[in-house]
Amino acid sequence: MKRSLTVCPYCGVGCTFYLVSNDGRLVGVEPSTTSPVNRGGLCVKGWNAYAFVHHPDRLTTPLVRRDGVLHPASWDEALNLVVERLQAVQATHGKDAVMFASSAKATNEENYLLMKLARAVFGTNNIDHCARLCHSSTVTGLAETFGSGAMTNSISCFDQTDVILIIGSNTTEQHPLIGSRILNAVQSGTHLIVADNRRIRLARHAALHLRHKNGSDVALLNGMMHVIIAEGLADQEFIADRTENYAALAASVADWTPERTAAATGLAAAEVVAAARLYAGAERAMIVYSMGITQHSHGVDNVRCIASLAMLTGNVGRPGTGVNPLRGQNNVQGGCDMGALPDLFSGYQKVADPLVRGKFAHTWGVSSLPSEPGLPLTRAMDAASEGCLHGMFIMGENPMLSDPDQGHARTVLENLELLVVQDIFLTETAAIADIVLPAACFAEKEGTFTNTERRVQRLHKAVEPPGQARADWEIICALAERAGYGGMRYTSPEEIMAEAASLTPIYGGIAYGRLDRHGLQWPCPDKTHPGTPIMHQDRFTRGLGYFTPVAHRLSAELPDAEYPFVLTTGRTYFHWHTGSMTRRTHLLDREEPRSFIELNPDDAARLGIRHRDMVLVSSRRGEITTEARVTGMVIAGVLFMPFHFAEGAANALTNNALDPESSIPEFKVCAVRLEKMP
Amino acid sequence: MKMLHPDQLDRFFASLAPTWELRLPILLPDGTRVIGCPNDAPHSLHGAPVAGKPTAAFFPQQSTLFTVTDGAIEEPPPADRPLFIVGFHPRDLACLRFIDRFFADGCRDDCYFRVRHGAAIGGLSGYCGPAGSLIPPAGGDCDVEFFWDRSSWLVIAYSATGNTLIADLPETAAPEAAELFPQLAAELPDENELLIRHASALLRANRVPDLFWADIGDRCIACTGCNLACPTCTCFGVQDWRSAQKTERSRMWDSCQLDGFMREAGGHNPLGSEAERTRRRIHHKLAADPEKWGEISCFLCGRCDSVCPTGIGIISVAREMVARFA
Ligand code: SF4
Ligand code: SF4
Ligand code: SF4
Repeated sequence: MKRSLTVCPYCGVGCTFYLVSNDGRLVGVEPSTTSPVNRGGLCVKGWNAYAFVHHPDRLTTPLVRRDGVLHPASWDEALNLVVERLQAVQATHGKDAVMFASSAKATNEENYLLMKLARAVFGTNNIDHCARLCHSSTVTGLAETFGSGAMTNSISCFDQTDVILIIGSNTTEQHPLIGSRILNAVQSGTHLIVADNRRIRLARHAALHLRHKNGSDVALLNGMMHVIIAEGLADQEFIADRTENYAALAASVADWTPERTAAATGLAAAEVVAAARLYAGAERAMIVYSMGITQHSHGVDNVRCIASLAMLTGNVGRPGTGVNPLRGQNNVQGGCDMGALPDLFSGYQKVADPLVRGKFAHTWGVSSLPSEPGLPLTRAMDAASEGCLHGMFIMGENPMLSDPDQGHARTVLENLELLVVQDIFLTETAAIADIVLPAACFAEKEGTFTNTERRVQRLHKAVEPPGQARADWEIICALAERAGYGGMRYTSPEEIMAEAASLTPIYGGIAYGRLDRHGLQWPCPDKTHPGTPIMHQDRFTRGLGYFTPVAHRLSAELPDAEYPFVLTTGRTYFHWHTGSMTRRTHLLDREEPRSFIELNPDDAARLGIRHRDMVLVSSRRGEITTEARVTGMVIAGVLFMPFHFAEGAANALTNNALDPESSIPEFKVCAVRLEKMP
Repeated sequence: MKMLHPDQLDRFFASLAPTWELRLPILLPDGTRVIGCPNDAPHSLHGAPVAGKPTAAFFPQQSTLFTVTDGAIEEPPPADRPLFIVGFHPRDLACLRFIDRFFADGCRDDCYFRVRHGAAIGGLSGYCGPAGSLIPPAGGDCDVEFFWDRSSWLVIAYSATGNTLIADLPETAAPEAAELFPQLAAELPDENELLIRHASALLRANRVPDLFWADIGDRCIACTGCNLACPTCTCFGVQDWRSAQKTERSRMWDSCQLDGFMREAGGHNPLGSEAERTRRRIHHKLAADPEKWGEISCFLCGRCDSVCPTGIGIISVAREMVARFA
């Protein structure tokens, strides 16, 4: 019997637990009772995180496609082929004809290495990962307003706040161990404002539940700011000392009267006023948001408004306050921190900056690095269909299910000259790849993940990978070696982190020896720094906080006579993303075995649809059949669907309308039609 | 009655290693205490009951029931040595006694008894509770009990196996300690004990309205922790893993807080809300089990209250229930 302390592979809360193993097989988990994050608890996914690891579907050998069929191959053959064919694509079409998709599921060290491989070895900035699909709007919006696109405060702040505004986050389902903190806070007297038109669990505990129209967040937030300024509730001292461009913001919200806001959001004017007063009247107030804010064609604008609202009331830089984007994946924070982004190296250092490039080139031992920002993941499909992109290397992602407009994604991926997928299961994307590389999962390797509160925590290997599967970092190093690059010889992930830390000021003080017990929260600039639970305390990362005025823009595709419903997509509590792990976990799959769509009882009655009827849902991009779930969770005219399921895939319907600045797709609003299946 | 000096503990446990597969409370690097192998981490006999349920040794979160290869059924091989598990507090021993009965009743559970049979159980009590508080002795329900008298462990055997285990230890110099046991056990009327009986009576008299369960259920995030941590929760799910070579059937801890636990094949669920499921969980322990087994099946080990992220473990719920409806 052996116990290995590790970090949950599911959401960004970053709960830690021990994997219990017996003779090399996992037999369960035991939560860490001392973790400041989860304090002895876990959610249902964490409790079951051991369960998919030894599943017989795990990939155990490299696969190479011959005559249209994937055949087992040796590592030698597969690795050589990957390198040869990537180089061949680049030789024919240029360096930027290949793209590397990194993974928010992989460790910091692996994200760092894949971006190094792309930049130093293959000479392209075409590297990105699924943060593009979740919080790219945060990275852009908060970098502009605060200077740093991460959660400003810590999870422990939920125990010390008076009011929490939750907007676009179903926290108890998507960040359960933060949701539970919020529930506890309510028991001790904290007031909640839930702005979300789904009746999520937290709404049942809210002082105010605002069911505003999908896509009207800017109007709501501008309206709240209008009331705060008009009623003299703004924190003038904070504004004067810590911020700039206030006058422009004040002017821009001047005509967002409660009445105008009500008309734009579908709320009552009194609700807008009440929300503004409750939030601004608190001594300490937090804002929590997630993909309900970011996944819009105006996602960056939504984030800007949130930042302004917090600054306007002085709710930044103190315990129990802040702007708190909850990061989705276990290591999406780390994927961004490590520079798996087309325009940034690790630590958000710009590739466009020659000094930064020089520093990385020197350490990596290469003469130069590409200076033009690469392709964001969400533009890759279009680039490929326009003939600019010919090869993709995808590590631990499943764009066939996770990308918007599935039909388009499929055609593009199938038509690539080269598709390499490195994963733990034969996902829908791996199944159409030319070469598949079998990877170790979280339980089978060392490394670090960074959670949503910027806490860098260690994984400890519990069991061996199945068959010939190898850790992602080992595979990447082997590829670099075969591509003729000698600068990726590491004996352990610890060495990789040491190199990453030396190049990344916010991680400067991160070292494995310092991470035992409960990790460290960045910024952590040097080896004696204790980490930073609360950012922007005395000054913002950019100096003064910046107010950006924002105009309300409508969503890209609105309902009309032909497609009369708004479809909004998301996740369920029991599944994770494309389900490759949770759908292979007995209890989780039993809980939500199939795709469904939520619709309001009034709509259901009008269309003659009963609970659990099969329905046909169609949009301008595709159609699917799924099961109706008739529920007051959603308001009339709005449908909700999770995207986990290959059969009845929500992303066959969604719209790849991108935010012009962050390139995030508008997963939260598209227009669909709904019919009962004959 | 025998005794054991703290500095003799390691030697004593090491002397058992050839015959027994030993497990005892250990202190893991981040400060979490669990029942584990003595070689993995320093032992840690003092403190609150360990977080994980000690009964997991016989009923682990996941266990293989059998594998089928070419039509031949194979069960997991028996262990080469029986288990000796130290670390059961008296309340844990009551839980173990309860599930021993449960798994033996009617259709005897082979998988459980494959490990349980022949295993020895060591109880822990005395002034080794949190901050040196007194844990009243169990006075039975185990093979051997270790009682911390603030300077050494008094060791008493209750079975033939227990006598063999401690045969080589010296007799205690203070024979009057033996008389202390029943006295100490009687000394501490437990508030929680009264509370849980009171809550049980309210439930059985039908005095707790559905609205209460709606309130509580609204705070349940369906993490399943309360069930998974509970030493008297015995429900499991079964899965088959098929590959080209073999089929493996295993079972894993299940939870009545999950919708799928009671859902009918047609999709209807008679316990379709968190309110109904939470009611069921508590009702099972406080109202149904007393009828079937003659005792409340919550022995107040405190684990569900520690593990529940939203503060609705059984003791908290009982407290709220009694405050509102007594
Ligand atoms: S809350 Fe998130 S990190 Fe914690 S156990 Fe659940 S999925 Fe894992
Ligand atoms: S206190 Fe909770 S975990 Fe312990 S026996 Fe009672 S119900 Fe089970
Ligand atoms: S531990 Fe608490 S939140 Fe989790 S299932 Fe049990 S009652 Fe619900």
